[in-house]
Amino acid sequence: MRTSLRQVNLDVIRLQGSRFLYVCSVCRQEARPRPFVARQFLRNASDATPITERVRRKLWGTDNPPGLKDPYGGEGVFEKKFKRGQSAPQEDESAEVTRAAGTENAVVEDALPEETPYEPATTWEGLQRVGHLGRWSDLPPSEADAYNSFSSNRRLTKLGHVSLAAHQTAVELCLMHLLKKPLTSICDVAEHEKPVFKLIWNCKIQPKSNTEWDSALVYPDKETEDALIYIFEQIGGAQQAAPEANAAAEDAEAAELEDTQDRDSAQEPRSIPFFGYKYAKDRGFLALSLNDPVTKFAFLKRFSQLTGQYFPDPILHSISSVGQVIDHIKTELKPKPKKLADHLVGDDSLQSLPNVKVFVKKQKPWHKDEELGRKKLIDAELRERGLVE
Amino acid sequence: MPLKGIRTVTAARNGVGAFILQCKRLDFHYCDWAGSSRGMVSFLKHSLPAFAKENPQIEIRVSPRPHKHPVIKGHYINGREKAVCVRNLEPEQILQKANLLKEASGEKLKRTKKPVTSINESVRGIWSPYHGDLRTI
Repeated sequence: MRTSLRQVNLDVIRLQGSRFLYVCSVCRQEARPRPFVARQFLRNASDATPITERVRRKLWGTDNPPGLKDPYGGEGVFEKKFKRGQSAPQEDESAEVTRAAGTENAVVEDALPEETPYEPATTWEGLQRVGHLGRWSDLPPSEADAYNSFSSNRRLTKLGHVSLAAHQTAVELCLMHLLKKPLTSICDVAEHEKPVFKLIWNCKIQPKSNTEWDSALVYPDKETEDALIYIFEQIGGAQQAAPEANAAAEDAEAAELEDTQDRDSAQEPRSIPFFGYKYAKDRGFLALSLNDPVTKFAFLKRFSQLTGQYFPDPILHSISSVGQVIDHIKTELKPKPKKLADHLVGDDSLQSLPNVKVFVKKQKPWHKDEELGRKKLIDAELRERGLVE
Repeated sequence: MPLKGIRTVTAARNGVGAFILQCKRLDFHYCDWAGSSRGMVSFLKHSLPAFAKENPQIEIRVSPRPHKHPVIKGHYINGREKAVCVRNLEPEQILQKANLLKEASGEKLKRTKKPVTSINESVRGIWSPYHGDLRTI
């Protein structure tokens, strides 16, 4: 039932204040307070049962409908869990208390648990993690997850270093052939110690025929031969070639020296490739044949490990000797074409002319501004207006 | 005081007495990478020293313009610029273009519609309503 228009008018004026004197009738009706929405809940204000409960009772036709006590609300899952977590130790402690009560009544009051009020967390720290699905990405990193590169992650670009690597690889493979060991097991030793490398460097390769790798190696002396064979016998066998074991082949002093070097190299990565050696003494390895696929694979694998230079498939297929490997690397390491500006700057006939100016860099509009002497002014103006920092 | 007419003297003409080349600067732009600059690079390497020596009154600037076609740009004393793209041209053709820019006046190219042009004023003079016979209407 509508209230009288006069009353509505008064209501509206009271609502909106005295700022607006005229309000149209539609707006008056709109602005009227509508108590009937609230009346639903106010109707049985004395009754504590909410409307949802009353509807439920009506649906079931009894005052005690089956199901949960409060199916439409109540505490959430986390609150319940939290309460349960809190109540469990309380129960334990209360059990202890009752047990203690039998013996000593005086202690009972001290043993009562202190009431810890609930404090909502402000950060995630210390909270139980929710949502762990047990996947690999959720687990903490293990040892197996660490990645160690096969090669030294260093690409050698000097031709001397490349030839050193090829010579070293050739000597190593000759020894492996001689000892009848699996060829690729040489890759287990990423780099040799300096005395071992020096022994390898001193060796020469003189292939009698292209295919013979085992008889191509020429040692400088008997001592080197024995040492190298002793060292390489341990590679690819049951036990790995420990640096100390390598050094034992030399003598006691060398072993000590090597030990310290090993520790040094473990502490900091080696910066100079091949211990400062610049080139291979011997060039005989270039004639070695790579027609045997096993030898070829082992050679290229070890060579790639030492140099960081890799070979595309078509090149792999076409390579048939060590010399071709070096030739391919030579083409790869071809120096970048020289810029024309460098050429012109170095050209005396052009530089001697007073009317010629050669710029190495691209000339931009601000170069023109600078030349005309207005760059500083533009810059100052831009700074003044706050357009550049 | 008798009035004296302005005496006609010889107007300044470029080339009469002195010749001032209109082109003051030539910019050569090239790209180190692009193939269309091959001729330009060759020209700059081999022909530019001779060209610059022949034309000491022209300032020559060489600068790279990466990933763009090669261009010769002429700057003239009337303040105008002329640019010629020399992509894929041979060094000889580029030399021709450089000479073209060198010899240009810097003015916009105009189409000559009349067969005869003269910078001399007409012998007959300009018609004036205040001179000559006044005819009665």
